[in-house]
Amino acid sequence: MKETIAMVLVGGRGTRLEAMTQRTAKPAVPFLSKYRLIDFVLSNITNSGLDTVGILTQYEPQGLMNYIQRGATWDLDVREGGIQFMTPYLSNEGEQFQKGTADAIKQHYYFIEQHQPDWVLVTSGDHVYKMDYRPLIDQAKDHNVDVLIAAFQPRDALSRYGVLAFDAARRLTHFEEKPTHPQGDHASMGVYVFKTSALKALLFDEQSQGIDFGHDILPLAIEKQLHIEVYPFSGYFRDVGTIESYYEATMELLDHPEWIDLYDYQEAPLYSRSYDLPPHHIASPYPIRKSMIGDGSLIMGRVEHSVIAHQVLLKDNSFVIDSIVFPSVTVGENAVLRNVIVLDHTVILPNTKLVYDRPTLIDNERLWALFGGHDA
Amino acid sequence: MRKILMIVDASNKEDFDRLVIHRMPGALPFAGKYRLIDFPLSLAKHANITNVAIFPYGNYRSLGDHVGSGKRWDLDRRKDGLFILPPKHFHLPTENMLTFQRMFEHIEFFRRSSQDYVFLTQANIVWNLDIQTYVEQHHDSGADISEIMHENLRLKTFILKRETLLDLLEIYDQLPTQTMNEYVAKTASHTVKILNYPHYTRYITDNFNYLKANLAMLDFENGRQVFDLERPILSKEKPAPPARYLTDALVDNAMIASGCVINGTVKHSIIGRDVTIAKGAVVKNSILMNNTVIESGVVVHHAILDKGTVVKQNTFIEGTLSDPFVSQKEQVITLQTHLSVLFVAAESTPFVKTGGLGDVINDLSRNLVKSGVSVTVMMPYYGFLKEKIAEVAQRFASHSFVFDEVMHKINLYQTDHKGVRYVFVESFYYFDEGPIYQDSDCDRFAFFNQAVVETVSSLDEFSVIHCHDWHTGLIPLLLKKAHNPTPTLFTVHNVDYQGECLGGVCQRLVEPNASHENVVNFLELGLTHATKIATVSPTYREELKYEYYGKNLASLFIQRERDFHGILNGISSRHDPHTDKLIHANYDRHSFAKKALNKRYLQKLCDLSVDADAFVMGMVGRLTEQKGFSIILAMLERFLSTHDKAQFVLLGTGDETIKARLQTLESKFPKRMKLFLTFDGTLPNYIYAGADVFVMPSRVEPCGLAQLIAMRYGTVPIVRQTGGLNDTVINYDPISRRGTGFSFFNYDAPSLAATCDEAYTLFTEDKPTFEALALRAMKEDFGLLKQANRMIDLYYLTRSEV
Repeated sequence: MKETIAMVLVGGRGTRLEAMTQRTAKPAVPFLSKYRLIDFVLSNITNSGLDTVGILTQYEPQGLMNYIQRGATWDLDVREGGIQFMTPYLSNEGEQFQKGTADAIKQHYYFIEQHQPDWVLVTSGDHVYKMDYRPLIDQAKDHNVDVLIAAFQPRDALSRYGVLAFDAARRLTHFEEKPTHPQGDHASMGVYVFKTSALKALLFDEQSQGIDFGHDILPLAIEKQLHIEVYPFSGYFRDVGTIESYYEATMELLDHPEWIDLYDYQEAPLYSRSYDLPPHHIASPYPIRKSMIGDGSLIMGRVEHSVIAHQVLLKDNSFVIDSIVFPSVTVGENAVLRNVIVLDHTVILPNTKLVYDRPTLIDNERLWALFGGHDA
Repeated sequence: MRKILMIVDASNKEDFDRLVIHRMPGALPFAGKYRLIDFPLSLAKHANITNVAIFPYGNYRSLGDHVGSGKRWDLDRRKDGLFILPPKHFHLPTENMLTFQRMFEHIEFFRRSSQDYVFLTQANIVWNLDIQTYVEQHHDSGADISEIMHENLRLKTFILKRETLLDLLEIYDQLPTQTMNEYVAKTASHTVKILNYPHYTRYITDNFNYLKANLAMLDFENGRQVFDLERPILSKEKPAPPARYLTDALVDNAMIASGCVINGTVKHSIIGRDVTIAKGAVVKNSILMNNTVIESGVVVHHAILDKGTVVKQNTFIEGTLSDPFVSQKEQVITLQTHLSVLFVAAESTPFVKTGGLGDVINDLSRNLVKSGVSVTVMMPYYGFLKEKIAEVAQRFASHSFVFDEVMHKINLYQTDHKGVRYVFVESFYYFDEGPIYQDSDCDRFAFFNQAVVETVSSLDEFSVIHCHDWHTGLIPLLLKKAHNPTPTLFTVHNVDYQGECLGGVCQRLVEPNASHENVVNFLELGLTHATKIATVSPTYREELKYEYYGKNLASLFIQRERDFHGILNGISSRHDPHTDKLIHANYDRHSFAKKALNKRYLQKLCDLSVDADAFVMGMVGRLTEQKGFSIILAMLERFLSTHDKAQFVLLGTGDETIKARLQTLESKFPKRMKLFLTFDGTLPNYIYAGADVFVMPSRVEPCGLAQLIAMRYGTVPIVRQTGGLNDTVINYDPISRRGTGFSFFNYDAPSLAATCDEAYTLFTEDKPTFEALALRAMKEDFGLLKQANRMIDLYYLTRSEV
């Protein structure tokens, strides 16, 4: 029996990330050189002392499962609990393709029954933030709430989020999903703590569709006048749902790594799967400025204000500026890259110029389309 | 796929000095994120080896912490797996390799293992060898034992059947050799085959090799041979974020591990995890281990900076490739401003000399001055010294202070000798009468120590006070009592003399409130209270931790281990066969043939048969048991009888019994043995220049000077592996034909006889190899400047402790 278990929702298809998510689930997308998006939430979970995690996945789950394996990277390969993947399955009632976030949990409710926790932490696998969930869970316990919603103050338009307001006692006073006229300055992070009995009642309520937390479950909880509180989170939080927001998030963390405290990793490290690579090697005397470079890369070119992942080969006199380069990319001699996101295993031929005004995805197919197989 | 058991020898310390205070060589970081032990363990994984035993030495916490259960290398098995097999007894590191006896202590492990083959290797070799291929080659060759070598280098790596090893271990106490390395070179009962590994290999045994191998990874060709993507080197990972470069970073050929924040210039260097390099700093040809902090304006050349070293603004650090600067873990290095050091000792040449100490004080102080350090030497103004130096020594100050409830007055005299300032403390009561050393020494030197403490702040603002031997032992404590914060370094040259007295004035000085009489031990108090302590060679430093050597103070040496340093004494450049006016014919490495003229001259002088093919064994030294005479006397007669080309010349005075026994022998071997039993200052040079080998089988030898002189003169040393002898003579290895002399470990006559026989055989049967040995010995650098530079590092380290 566990007091609290975590449910991580990774079902989103992430279509707005275009080719980035063509072959992999959004949470498995590389981020900030050596990480994947899922590293954030799994590291948060293990750093908060939780060890039982259900991962609800349905879209291209293989890449993600392959990355997470049994969770050893996050110390989650424990005997009791650990990581369990929950994928759609066929049953007597037909194919159980998950219709929404809440529906996913509903379908796999057996996992919660099995562990009989008092509290269930629900999170998403594709958000960038470092958070200790313990104060959140403590607030839920101390105030004996039914539902606790973690909220942050977004820098961009509130209308993209579930907007909420709360009183001095942190009681929820107002909630509206993607409002045109937001009332309140906080937005839901998609991170909730449910009292298990309340969660069960809400999911299996006959009047509700129980498909999505924001659209169905929270309004139902409000309607039923449950005890709902808000936990305001003051750290960095970002949903990287689009190419632009992905690019922006990467660049702002490149410039301000202290926002998520990457370089003091003793207390709450951000774990990522290791690939047994030697440190990167900068072999030529070109300037390397305002950049991040991962292990095993060989740099013989110039790098400025860019994020380079692991096993990247930048050949002689290539120039990468304001760009993001995914793992195992080769950039040929004298190539120039600006404002691009180069996806993994892309090979850029010598002398290629890829210079854009706004963030643009580059992969082998795109290159084929651009240059038609001829050397640029 | 053969079934193989891997034995990793991590049992020796090699020659890393302070890098191995906190860890064994196997746990040394490599290429930014690895440890040396990752190499054997990764090779094991790629050869599907699932049974690995590591034999550690000393502090293996760091190693154990790193390897854990061996999971990273798939060694956390239900059956077999990873074992760390610690020593059952404290052993001195012998022969620099795991002994058969050490393995026998864990014979159960070898019996229980089921694998057919044993791959015995070292924890500190950088390579990426495919073990299966070599075991297959070993199998096909039909040899009993295969040794893997790289070019002409022995790597202490062997392949043999487990049964063969078991047979050897069962009779370890009957074997004439103690390690596989020796066994292979000498065995007649097993066939041995050499297998060559042609790809990049470096056996890392000292700071030079360590720096060189790390920097070699910056060369693509080497790097590719070691870091093969198909056969990765696996290591324990830390969750450090990717390295980050700020606006002013300039990097040229460097490997930089994760977690670093780089804003300065880095050239041709290996940078470990979480290193910060500030704007305007320059790091070149160096290894920076984890968590090093380089502040702005710092310049670092050819340095190995241990974990957590902090280099403060504008500091300049410079070493060389062969002798890199090495910091201590978490050392804070500040701007290396001028150093002013006070030496305190009972004697110094040219003023006073009774033993080796006087020479060391003089030589070291002169060479420190050459390196830019200000040195003041303080010693008592002995009565007999007054006539000698009255004209040059100027009285410049007087002080009065209370010593044992009586007011005493002292006068200070000073003179300059080769840039060193000498200060003599005059006390009519204590130093006017008699020789240097007397019966009431404790009281006299207690007074001297008190006088130093009373006057030191009036002399200069010293960075460090360097105290030598027991005569200065109370100074660190008395300074503390006087609230003088000047850091102290205490060097013990010989632990045999400790300065002990019961109660009396010394006790009233150091523990005024004691209720009953206690023993006051000067050396013990010096070693306890000094900021840092040192001795005269790295091996002696190790030996002192054992009661056999360290006597009553062994546990104190263990206790102070982290502050305890071993720095080898150097010898003066005046010992040079090229310029020595006392020898018959001058020579150097390029005119080595002229040494034969000196040999001929020596033979004539000693009335030995003049024979160019004779094997002339020379010896110079006090006739004491400590110098090894009990084993010499036990083997010499038989050796001379069975080796008819051997001749023996000895110069020395001392113990009457030894004298008498030697004289009996001399009469038995006319024309072959000659003794000079009085001290004659010119004779040693004839012996150094004329002998073929120099015998020095000391039981204890803190540093030893004679073997260094002999080597300068191309006289091949035969020594016991103890103290400085072990640090200066590299034992001849018949397989690789390397070395600078001959050495043995066990203090017994058969070992000495066997070693002399080995030298004799090589001399008579393979002159060119023997001569190459002599030439290599001549080339070794034991200069005083090297010693002075080590000492300067230690002064900075001592100063940074305050």
